[in-house]
Amino acid sequence: MKKYITSILIIAALATGCEKKLEIAPTQSIDQNLALLTEGDVLVTLIGAYDGLQSVAAYGGDIMLLNELIGNRDDIRFTGTFAPLSDAWRLEMTASNTYGRDTWAQCYNTINRCNNVLSALDKITSSPATKSRVEGEALFIRATLYFELVRLYAKTWGDGTNTSNPGVPLVTTPTKSITEADYKPRSSVADVYAMVIADLTKSESLLPASNTIYAKKSAAAAILSRVALMQGDYVAARDAANRVITTGGHTLSTTVGANWYTFINNAGNSPSEYIFSMKVTTQDGANDLNTFFGINAGAGTAGRGDCKIYPAHLAKYEAGDARGAYFSVVGGNNYTRKHLDRYGNVSIVRLAEMYLTRAEANFRLGTAVGQSPLLDVNAIRTRATLPALPTVDLNAILKERYLETAFEGNRLPDIKRTRGMQSGVAWNSPKLIMPIPQREMDVNAKLVQNEGY
Amino acid sequence: MRKLLASLTAVLFLSVSAIAQTSVTGKVTDLNSKLPLSGASVVVKGTNVGTVTGLDGSFSITLPAKSNVLVVSFLGYSVQEITAKSGSVDIALSTSDVKTLNEVVVTGYGSKIKKDLTGNIARIKGKEIENMPVASVDAALQGKAAGVFVNSQSGKLGQAATVRIRGNSSISASSQPLYVVDGVPITTNDQSTYGGDMSPLTDINSNDIESIEVLKDASAGAIYGSRAANGVILITTKRGNSGKTSVSANYQAGSSKETRRVEFLNSEQYAELFFRATKYTDDFYGTPLNDPSSETTFAKDWMAYHSFDKWLTDPKASYDWQDQAFQKGNFQQGDVQISGGNDKTKFFGSLQYFDQKGIIVGNDLKRITGRLNLDHKAKEWLNLGFTMSLARTTSRRLPDDNQFSNPLQSIAFMPVTPFTDPNTGLPTGAPPGDLNVGLYYNPRLTVDYAKFTQEIFRNFSNVYATAKILPGLTFQSEFGVDILSQNEEGYFQTQTVRNTTTAVRGSGSNAAAFILNYNTNNYFNYTRDFGKHNIDATVGMQYQQSSSKYNSTSGTDFPSNSYRKIASAATKSGGSSSQSDFSFVSQFARVNYKFNDRFLATASIRRDGSSRFGENERYGIFPSASAGWILSEEKFIQNIKAISFLKLRASYGQVGNAEIGNFPQLGLFSGAAGYAGNAGQSPTQIGNPDLKWETTDQVDVGLDFGLFSGRITGELDYYEKKTSGLLLNVNIPATTGFNTQTKNVGKLENKGYEVVLNTQNFIGKFKWNTTINFANNKGKVVDIKGQIIEGGISSMNRVMEGQPIGVFYAVQYAGVDPANGDALFYKNISGTGGQLDKGTVNPAGFNQAQRVVVGDPNPDYIIGFTNNFSYKGFDLSVFFNGVIGNQINIYGMGRYSSANFRFEDNQTVDQVNAWTTPGQKTDIPQARWLFNNGAQISSRYIVDGSYARLRTVTLGYNVPLKALKRLKIDRLRVYASALNLLTLTDYPYWDPEVNADSFDSNIAKGNDFYTPPQPKTIVFGINIGL
Repeated sequence: MKKYITSILIIAALATGCEKKLEIAPTQSIDQNLALLTEGDVLVTLIGAYDGLQSVAAYGGDIMLLNELIGNRDDIRFTGTFAPLSDAWRLEMTASNTYGRDTWAQCYNTINRCNNVLSALDKITSSPATKSRVEGEALFIRATLYFELVRLYAKTWGDGTNTSNPGVPLVTTPTKSITEADYKPRSSVADVYAMVIADLTKSESLLPASNTIYAKKSAAAAILSRVALMQGDYVAARDAANRVITTGGHTLSTTVGANWYTFINNAGNSPSEYIFSMKVTTQDGANDLNTFFGINAGAGTAGRGDCKIYPAHLAKYEAGDARGAYFSVVGGNNYTRKHLDRYGNVSIVRLAEMYLTRAEANFRLGTAVGQSPLLDVNAIRTRATLPALPTVDLNAILKERYLETAFEGNRLPDIKRTRGMQSGVAWNSPKLIMPIPQREMDVNAKLVQNEGY
Repeated sequence: MRKLLASLTAVLFLSVSAIAQTSVTGKVTDLNSKLPLSGASVVVKGTNVGTVTGLDGSFSITLPAKSNVLVVSFLGYSVQEITAKSGSVDIALSTSDVKTLNEVVVTGYGSKIKKDLTGNIARIKGKEIENMPVASVDAALQGKAAGVFVNSQSGKLGQAATVRIRGNSSISASSQPLYVVDGVPITTNDQSTYGGDMSPLTDINSNDIESIEVLKDASAGAIYGSRAANGVILITTKRGNSGKTSVSANYQAGSSKETRRVEFLNSEQYAELFFRATKYTDDFYGTPLNDPSSETTFAKDWMAYHSFDKWLTDPKASYDWQDQAFQKGNFQQGDVQISGGNDKTKFFGSLQYFDQKGIIVGNDLKRITGRLNLDHKAKEWLNLGFTMSLARTTSRRLPDDNQFSNPLQSIAFMPVTPFTDPNTGLPTGAPPGDLNVGLYYNPRLTVDYAKFTQEIFRNFSNVYATAKILPGLTFQSEFGVDILSQNEEGYFQTQTVRNTTTAVRGSGSNAAAFILNYNTNNYFNYTRDFGKHNIDATVGMQYQQSSSKYNSTSGTDFPSNSYRKIASAATKSGGSSSQSDFSFVSQFARVNYKFNDRFLATASIRRDGSSRFGENERYGIFPSASAGWILSEEKFIQNIKAISFLKLRASYGQVGNAEIGNFPQLGLFSGAAGYAGNAGQSPTQIGNPDLKWETTDQVDVGLDFGLFSGRITGELDYYEKKTSGLLLNVNIPATTGFNTQTKNVGKLENKGYEVVLNTQNFIGKFKWNTTINFANNKGKVVDIKGQIIEGGISSMNRVMEGQPIGVFYAVQYAGVDPANGDALFYKNISGTGGQLDKGTVNPAGFNQAQRVVVGDPNPDYIIGFTNNFSYKGFDLSVFFNGVIGNQINIYGMGRYSSANFRFEDNQTVDQVNAWTTPGQKTDIPQARWLFNNGAQISSRYIVDGSYARLRTVTLGYNVPLKALKRLKIDRLRVYASALNLLTLTDYPYWDPEVNADSFDSNIAKGNDFYTPPQPKTIVFGINIGL
């Protein structure tokens, strides 16, 4: 009987003692209710927003890559086996294109991180300056991504009626649980632009003039100039570009090559010419432009070599243009040297574009705010070791812009806003608009698909 | 107090009476061959006293005072009862009538005679899987039990297999069964950080296994409650027997090659097709073929470049890159087993060395295992014992299938590309030669200049004590651990930089995993006869806790390739540590009731609590009930001569699936969101406090029968499994910042039948018996609340209501337009009345074509078919297994390699039949360089995956006893054995037993992505018993 009692006691002790052992908390992650309680929490969440922005599907390179592949079949021979990218390049995308799906999701994932920051600004109590900076950065990242989304997934500004053309869903609050309200329809193109402009304008006013590797005042102004240019609002584009040039504190690199190889030649630092860029380190971050445009062409370089540049593109540079020589030949094929550095920082917007934006806007408006179009263009030409032009016209300005910013993700937006053509397709062709991802269509009945998908 | 005294007196009396017991030793042999029978059961009639014979057939047993009749039984032999006296007794068994029925089957917290079972438990004897040249036990189970589907996934050594018992009963949670080794639920999730999933069952020496019981229905499984929905596999290791100490040594060695190769284009065929394709494109754009910017010029330059200009001078030189991917594998294994003991103490010990070199270059696995199992009778009322096994497994691992370093991916290389760079004599693509030669990274470089090794130490240990408290009442307490300690080390030299871009100056990594999993079971067993009534009850508790800790470091920039440890890395490029824990607390009870040896009933219940369940759903209750009726005990059946045994049984139960991850219920932020060296956090998971296990209700009806004095025996089963509260990662709009939320929604069901048939076709000197197991399972997703759940290659596997899990969902290929060579696709647009529009579109209209279900990766039938022959000292065993009615997705390779030159990857040889002239009838569309003419996602790449395979064939010879006497050994056996000798299939790529590890999930099955085939292995072995 003693044994019997002892055994019962053993069981009883184990049974009751063990019940408490069911409370196990995660060790790597924390409950969302404990995540945004202090100023420190908000600051690290802002860093998390940059981390999201840097994902390959966003500014780690894919946004620029898609803009180049969809917009530049004339210059790029894409031979890789990455079928979704090949489809984009051939303008044969389907709604289930995984790059289209992932870029969409990653942009919104990052937007949610920004919304978390913006919802907890009241936790920042150390200084008003810190609070302004944090709000400015979060607004900048959110607005920039909405601008990228509306350019990729919706009709071009002015192609039909902006107020009725579907843009993308606008989400401005953090997601803490899932309700019916989270199934959002597409806001109109006009509404998306309006919010982007409002956020960027506020961001520019809040951000400090210098802010290490993070978004500063000039970054917000630079993206604002892009937004205005897309809308054909040349006054706003010119003025924003002028603010960047005159007060942004950026200088043009002395040579074409000094803008690149940031890791190999510049210890991982972006040149002063970069207005906003994503920093890549050996530990963190990725450069997907390198993955697809790059190739092994010396120590520290890498890449799949999928984007081969046609000889026809090289023929477009004048003799002596340093940019025309800025290609590596491997296996008989040309590769741009802009993206060869394995750990190269990803340039999002740089000063040369601001000169060309100001030149174009001034020219179109017949003004010379900040500088004359001719001198702005010649500043870029001189840097490329070309002789200064005596006169300049719109075509010359646009050609300079095309060659200067080639393979950096500007091609598709420039074709669309200048109402151009690419590989036999007009600027407003549905083929130049990405499909709303099939996954989103399947899950959210309120979304409408783009034409042709 | 009086009662207590009385029982104490009773205990004393029992101890005293033990002194009067007599001891019997003996030997059990085969009546015909005179060979010893190892593993035969010897039980004192009407008691629980029993033992099992040792390797030399000997046994020793102590007779209780009241009985002296021994019941001796062995699989395939007639049961014999003999009256024993003290001293020695030899028993010769003759082959049998009702085989297997008196076998003892492990049931979980107890055991039972097969005849009295009311649930469905399949028993696989250790003998059936011993000495198979596969590293992991799960792979060895293939085809051995009805309704147990095993797919080895690939021919990589130690790779985790897919095991499904009675279909797939989950979508998002694990569908793998629970593995319990000697009472401890072991760690079975993959711990590797490189390549595909490694099976943690690799650390078990399968020759240590006495038996494997598969608990298939809910009545059998419900005692494991929330963890039994996918079935439970109980592994019981060998234990010692009293009597003579026997020693058995076994050595086997052999070699292996791939089961099959695929035929690709040679250089001439390749160039011809390449030019055909580029001509189309040049013509399309109006570019003259000899224009410097023409695609044809590109093709010439490209072939010249990728052949080191060799193609220009020798266009016939051709290289089959499969030669670089495959190698002759070899295998050797040595075993020593010792067992013995006396009345008080019994032991079993073993040592094994296992060494296998894979059929894919750069793959090997070595394992050394040791085991000691000890049982000791401390007092008449107290038994103690322990088991301990240690294993060290080291393997050189292959990357996952979707890596350029996967050796089989080199089949994409142009056949004009030589294996060796003529300028350097080194492998193509190795510096100082041109890194960019070779369409892709040459995987050979990773074999020659990189290494990724995994080293695992594994300890399964268990101690127990069993106390007899009162007559019929015992208490058992067990404590066991499963300790897994793993270290992985990778080093990639600078030569691999084209693939490992971090390896500019070398790249190294080191990762460790440490998992402590401990478990205690404490339970009472009570057995008693009341006249014609017999009751057998179990009640107890179990507590399990598992804690997994991980850390890793990586570094780049090494001084030279001679330095390979992170200590020498100038840049420590990464480091991490993490931890994840879970626990279960459970109580359980079970009652078995038998009346008049013919009516059987069992009821069980279990309550499980787990740290994995949400705040609001912390405990679950899992009941079951079952009944059986042994009809052959009834007069009206006994009158039918042909029927020797007949039992009807039925069961119902509810079980759960708690393999839902460790913290799926919480809304989480994660700290892994740093940027440029600054720490960051981000939301990673949206919460759900109502989250719980998945619930499966299962009904099973079965019939066990024996005919013609047991010459034919068998089992028939029909079951229905209904799973509800499916844990789904429910898709939510990505605009929320999250892609999915985990919820208990959704239902699915599995229905099926199983047939097991054993026949003894010849008995006597020439023996031939046959075992067939055959199962059909129909899975159906009933309700997933409209979710789109997809996975696999190009997201072609899909979960859809009304369909089995993971069907292939794609546009339907309609062949080639004979007029112009366009690929055609059926529109399949639903019209009024649900009619599908069978009109076709060409690639330009591809987006109009609607997707339909074009295949199912789940087989309709799984079959195992064994024939055993013996004559005098010879024995032959021939075992086939197969699956019927499943499809495989070859789009992974097909879109590149069977795609009429969509890309410049080398093509399968059938692609030369691409359309060329109007009116031509072919299934291969016109070759159009850079145009997508038929390489779209479609049913063109969904093919039949049925196969029948000669899984094992073994021929053995036992040297006659007479000859052995002179050598003073008990047994000498030589044998030859082959694994996967023959495969019958229509599958076009390497091997139909496939599932690409890079895409593997519950729903992503049946995908091939340059996946290594199974090895065809031939071994020779010798076994000596002393």
